[in-house]
Amino acid sequence: MNDNPNGISEDMQALLKKPGLLGVRVDRQSLIKHFFNGCAGITIITLFLIMWSLLRESTGFLPTYRWELSVYRQAGLEYADFIEKPLSEHLALHSKLNRAFNAELNTISRESKLRRDAAFLIKQQIEEKTVLQREPLQEALDAGNTPPEKITALRKTLTEATAAALGSEPLPKLFNESEKKSLTADLLGLQPDVTDMPPFIKSLMDKFIEQDKAGKEKYAAFISALDAFEEASEPITELHDGMKEQVLEVKKAATQQHMAEDAKFKLLEAARAAKTAEKREGFEKDAAQTDINPIDYKTNIDSLITKLPEYESLIPAYKDAVSKAMEGIPQKADTHEARELIDQVRKSFPKHLAHVDESVDHMKAWQWDKPIPLFRALTAFLFGGDWITNSSWQDFYGVIPLFTGSLLIAITALLIALPFSVAAAIYTNQFASPREQEIIKPFIEFIQAIPSVVLGFIGISVLGDLIKETSNIPWLQWIPGFPVQERLNMFNAGLLLALMAIPTMFSLAEDALQNVPRAFSEASEALGATKLQTVFRVIFPASISGVFAAMLLGLGRIIGETMVVLLVAGNRIAIPDFSDGIGAVFQPAHTLTGIIAQELGEVSRGSAHWQALFMVGILLFFISLLINFLSRKVVKRFQLPKI
Amino acid sequence: MVTAAPYEPKKKQIVDHLAPTAVDKTFNSKATAGEEGMISVRDMDFNYGAKRALHHIQMEIPSKQVTAFIGPSGCGKSTLLRCFNRINDRIQGAHIASGQVIIKGKNIYDKDVDTTSLRRQVGMVFQKYNPFPKSIYENVVYGLRISGVKKKADLNDACEYALKSAALWDECKDRLKQNAFGLSGGQMQRLCIARAIAVKPDILLMDEPCSALDPIATLKVEELILQLKEQFTVVIVTHNMQQARRVADLTAFMYLGELIEFADTLTIFSNPQQLKTEEYIRGQFS
Repeated sequence: MNDNPNGISEDMQALLKKPGLLGVRVDRQSLIKHFFNGCAGITIITLFLIMWSLLRESTGFLPTYRWELSVYRQAGLEYADFIEKPLSEHLALHSKLNRAFNAELNTISRESKLRRDAAFLIKQQIEEKTVLQREPLQEALDAGNTPPEKITALRKTLTEATAAALGSEPLPKLFNESEKKSLTADLLGLQPDVTDMPPFIKSLMDKFIEQDKAGKEKYAAFISALDAFEEASEPITELHDGMKEQVLEVKKAATQQHMAEDAKFKLLEAARAAKTAEKREGFEKDAAQTDINPIDYKTNIDSLITKLPEYESLIPAYKDAVSKAMEGIPQKADTHEARELIDQVRKSFPKHLAHVDESVDHMKAWQWDKPIPLFRALTAFLFGGDWITNSSWQDFYGVIPLFTGSLLIAITALLIALPFSVAAAIYTNQFASPREQEIIKPFIEFIQAIPSVVLGFIGISVLGDLIKETSNIPWLQWIPGFPVQERLNMFNAGLLLALMAIPTMFSLAEDALQNVPRAFSEASEALGATKLQTVFRVIFPASISGVFAAMLLGLGRIIGETMVVLLVAGNRIAIPDFSDGIGAVFQPAHTLTGIIAQELGEVSRGSAHWQALFMVGILLFFISLLINFLSRKVVKRFQLPKI
Repeated sequence: MVTAAPYEPKKKQIVDHLAPTAVDKTFNSKATAGEEGMISVRDMDFNYGAKRALHHIQMEIPSKQVTAFIGPSGCGKSTLLRCFNRINDRIQGAHIASGQVIIKGKNIYDKDVDTTSLRRQVGMVFQKYNPFPKSIYENVVYGLRISGVKKKADLNDACEYALKSAALWDECKDRLKQNAFGLSGGQMQRLCIARAIAVKPDILLMDEPCSALDPIATLKVEELILQLKEQFTVVIVTHNMQQARRVADLTAFMYLGELIEFADTLTIFSNPQQLKTEEYIRGQFS
């Protein structure tokens, strides 16, 4: 201390920083600082690791998918699909007509069918209940040497048991009193050795057969039209099947070739990395043995194209046949359902005919060797309307059906959750007494504690049936989409997701209202405003930025939720049919999150399907990022200026 | 600076002096010569929960005059002011314990009084300017809108009248649609005054209207107050004795929830009757 190199007086030595360890100061203060710094750093590094792994797993997707699409084209699958399109339309039209026909037929035979089924059911129930008395009698009869008096006694016990069972089993209301009597007589006469149907039940059966026959006679024209419609496409279907077989062969060969190339590449890699010359030679030998013959796409395509004139020649006959069949469809259907279905078919029929003609144009314009650029794989992913996997024909990874599912569910959930949460927040913050606040807030926040799997249970077991039953109420039929066909649908999932989002949105909206300066409400009330006027004219507008942020964060939660949608949304991978307008929300759908959860466990690692699922993950990531970004913008835009 | 302790024994004495009649006499003789005021407070006690904030307040505030309340912090002058439009009702547990506040012949603490229409007749300006996050125009016509005025012409007239009365018209007639937060502090406070007078109240309450303003803005607001008293009865709470001297016709001195002295401003400042008043005015405590 005495020799002072810097010429600083001893008193001032304390001012100098103490030397650190490797340039880092290690006193307590800086250690604490570095600890917090490190924590923040680890969080950021983890985020980057997640992004990196997502990108790594999915980078291969675009080239792989492009390769698959190019095989789809070069092997001629695309060519065959041009015919597939009108064929599947034909199938859809036919099934609609079939449904219409069944609806019509039901008007005649429905009641007799119901009566017959009810009688059968009661007979079966009685037989089940008296099985203990029936079996000994059966055995006695089978034995052949049983004394007749014993058989009589057994018969008596059986009749008594039947009577007792009948007493406990109410007869269906479909029958009137005298019919009930004859039914009872029939049932009492049930004995194991009588194989003929009892007379009354027999009459019911005959009645149904008769009416069914009558119905089929009445609608004979309809039936023949229906059959003609179905048969019209047969030649084309045959041709198409032939083409399919042919191109699938080529595709199979191409896939095998691809795998062989892959194997050879790997062997060569191994050879390069091998340590001893011996091993290397071995690898190289193996590689040389892997024979790779370039696939002769050209010959296949040439033979495929020769089918076009045949297809073209089949078209006029097909069009004639279906048009004629359409004329045979009754103009006036008796039931509402049939009328609607037939109307739909009539409406889309001209379009269908046009599509048939178009398919020929598409086939003529088609070039098998037109290369597929890389961005085409991306657009096919982002805007593709089919998500088809594990198909024997061709896999497609188009994300639109999943995206629309996610979006519709999110919109439904948001539209339900927003009014509830904002209204609850306004009430709690502005009108509720402190005691009420103490009750409401924890209760709403408690919803968050319900595990989403449990909510899924509720959706399946309670909400689904509730929605379906409500949709059958006659005076609610004006609601689009009613009656609902599926218990598990987007609306159901939306309702549950709304419930999940309400606590988040409620808390944030409540905070936003709380943050409005008291001075505003004081000024408003001093001007003679009522509480309600103050809330709606001053406080709510002033808190709008916070409410927006609450909404967007709720949306983020809804989009990212997986378990509920997987259980409740119905998991049908298809773009919803918007012909019913807003009623489309009552259809089942699959979602971006649900598909990952459902399929990722089952695909082989590194396959195109696997990579596609990671791409879906990235898409979700970007959607969340966008929502976050938007909420920041919105909050800034509507923020109150500071005074 | 605080010399409250030595006065403790005397405080009792002051309370004794403060028999309602004594204050009445002071007031009546000096200010309105027996005429009933615009606001009359009759032996009022006011509580925050169990805590008594105002004791036996008795005063007559005359019409079309400026009345100032002065006194040390926490003496209850703001509480008294806030009794006049019942804005104190917002506070949990605040209530009048006894007595009456009579405005235009009606006890405003009667059960059948509608506070919203009371507040349309008794406007208020707050310590910290608090315009709404809306345009200047919407701020001024807010009071009219909530009372159901819809006609555009009426709203425009009221806006012009109020802004002119608040001496703000020339400064912002070209920017009525702009957000009020773009104004300066003094302008915002005058906007708040305009907002209060747009509904044409009878009485204008001002709770330390200049405490958040700079001296020049203060001067402008004070000039404005002097103009306003031609149309309104103004009651102002102020910390600033010079301000009371400059703008007020009458001044009330309050201490520890009691009205010590109420007389015309000149008397209060030149010849106070109560010892406490004199000491406060001399700056012996605050």
